[in-house]
Amino acid sequence: MRLKNSSAEAAIQPTVKKPNAFVRFIQQWDLQLLVLPGIILLFIFSYVPIYGIIMAFQDFKLGDTLGMSEWVGLKWFIQLFTSPDLFGIVRNTLVISLLKLTIGFICPIVFAVFLNELRVAPVKKTVQTLSYLPHFISWTVTATLLFDLLGSEGALTQLLVSLHILKQPVNFFQKGEWFWGLATISNIWKELGWDAIIYVSAIAGIDVEMYEAADIDGATRLQKMWHITVKSIKPTIILLLIMNVGGVLNANFDQIMMLTRQMTNAALTPYAQVIDTYSYRMGIALMRFSYGTAVGLIKSIINFFLLLTANKIADKAGETALL
Amino acid sequence: MAAAASTKPHKMKSKKVFSDYVISVLIFVIMLVVSVTTLYPFLNALALSLNEAQDTTRGGITIYPRVFTLQSYKGIFTNPDIWHAYLITILRTVIGTVGGLLVTGSMAFALSRKSLVGRRFYSIFCLIPMYFGGGLIPTYIVTRSLGLVNNFWVYIIPSLVNIWNMILMRSYFSGVPDALEESARIDGANYFTVFFKIFWPVSTPIIATIALYFGVQHWNDWYVATIYMTSREDLKPMTCVLLRIINEAAYAERMAAQGMSAAAIGQAGMGRKMVSARSITMATLIVSIIPIIVIYPFLQRYFIKGIMIGSIKG
Repeated sequence: MRLKNSSAEAAIQPTVKKPNAFVRFIQQWDLQLLVLPGIILLFIFSYVPIYGIIMAFQDFKLGDTLGMSEWVGLKWFIQLFTSPDLFGIVRNTLVISLLKLTIGFICPIVFAVFLNELRVAPVKKTVQTLSYLPHFISWTVTATLLFDLLGSEGALTQLLVSLHILKQPVNFFQKGEWFWGLATISNIWKELGWDAIIYVSAIAGIDVEMYEAADIDGATRLQKMWHITVKSIKPTIILLLIMNVGGVLNANFDQIMMLTRQMTNAALTPYAQVIDTYSYRMGIALMRFSYGTAVGLIKSIINFFLLLTANKIADKAGETALL
Repeated sequence: MAAAASTKPHKMKSKKVFSDYVISVLIFVIMLVVSVTTLYPFLNALALSLNEAQDTTRGGITIYPRVFTLQSYKGIFTNPDIWHAYLITILRTVIGTVGGLLVTGSMAFALSRKSLVGRRFYSIFCLIPMYFGGGLIPTYIVTRSLGLVNNFWVYIIPSLVNIWNMILMRSYFSGVPDALEESARIDGANYFTVFFKIFWPVSTPIIATIALYFGVQHWNDWYVATIYMTSREDLKPMTCVLLRIINEAAYAERMAAQGMSAAAIGQAGMGRKMVSARSITMATLIVSIIPIIVIYPFLQRYFIKGIMIGSIKG
């Protein structure tokens, strides 16, 4: 069995014919064994659930074998599309997602561009390290901090009152119509520094001579930031935009569950219930498994097409596509 | 090193115009706002956790304790529930991170070898779940039918493979010179040896990055614990206990809001609990984030590199 690796062999004696795939497979059993556990786990936890989508067209009850339940056709989809809940969850999902894709997308870019303008290296380093911090903190902790800051006696509420931005102290978590803003801003707070890393790195790769040439031409600082810094990282920006579009409907389950106290905050629920939380509530909390699956499937389908569209657009724009 | 180059100030030959001053002010303001809004909540939590509970109710605690006490921390360290949950979190983080690195790492290594038979098939097999998944409920049903509900291993097994982390590691391993592998193979080493003895030691940056990703994911997880750990309180991690404490505090506050005056609360047994609830919450919070805060700055240079690898490969 002491046979040489086929590629090494081929390199040494290019005239020798490559053994067929099966023989090579047996020869590299050790290499195959390294892939195997991962493939098995992926099969069980990613592919079997894809097959499990079949539940959305059946009436699944606990104890049923997956895929062997009674067929009910489009019953659950009809129920979903005639449900009074539908409008709210679709609206909330879209609004929160779009806010994240726009404001939440631009902020890290702005932060990175301005961070690059900081001339004192230790300060720059400190601010950047600090800015990652919230990314590593769970939403449980983040929500705890927010409850404390934005309650009717919270420090931030008090500050806003003393600045006359708020007329009187309010509990931010009792204002349903503020929830979208709250979700967007808390997400920016958490991910600003982390999302900026990639832009900071891209900016670091810009040729310093470009700035020097601009100086000679008498460019202002603002002009340099826009025409050199931002324009140079444009490919990175487009790439990340595409990647974000694909995950746009994953309106952060953890975040929403935490901010709404696991959906027990009645004031927030009408503005906070998104597809994910609805699917969870219906499917797991209320044990309507098939209905919950149907809800989840709608999301997966929309997501998939968003990703394909984003790729098409990227292709047209001449950028590297992901697929 | 490129980073160092751009931090070098580019010389300003032109005279300053008005917009330059506006930009300078803007830079200052943005950096100040980011720093303060990031730091303040944590310092405030720390101050609250170290302040005497009764005194805290007077309000006005900012970033330092007014009446210093370690009472809240004593409360935590003598509470077996919190200790137990902390242990669970540590246990799952250690096992989950090591296991994740081994399974995801060896998969990444194998997929980075051009000689791997079926490489194309495996790559597509890994790619599809990134675009389309079964969703929450089917995954739940599968996990449940495997007997993983209310089982410690639900924390570990489903997250042993992370495709995104696999791709990052694969790109890194692809960049390791082929000569290293070939010379070892000629000496008769099998692929296990090549991976663990040759590739592993030269891949510290990516291993540190991925270890951090896995570690943080396990440390902060609430989702898996909530969905799959429905009746085993003894297996709940720190995040769940923190949440329970917050919710108890909120409940006490609601009770207070329903008609009980501050004085009445102070006299009732509930009052004592409510008064200290905020301090205990903050102390629990601090204890649960300390390990991460201590570790992440040291891994910074690694994860910046890790993110760059990911972005190049898309």
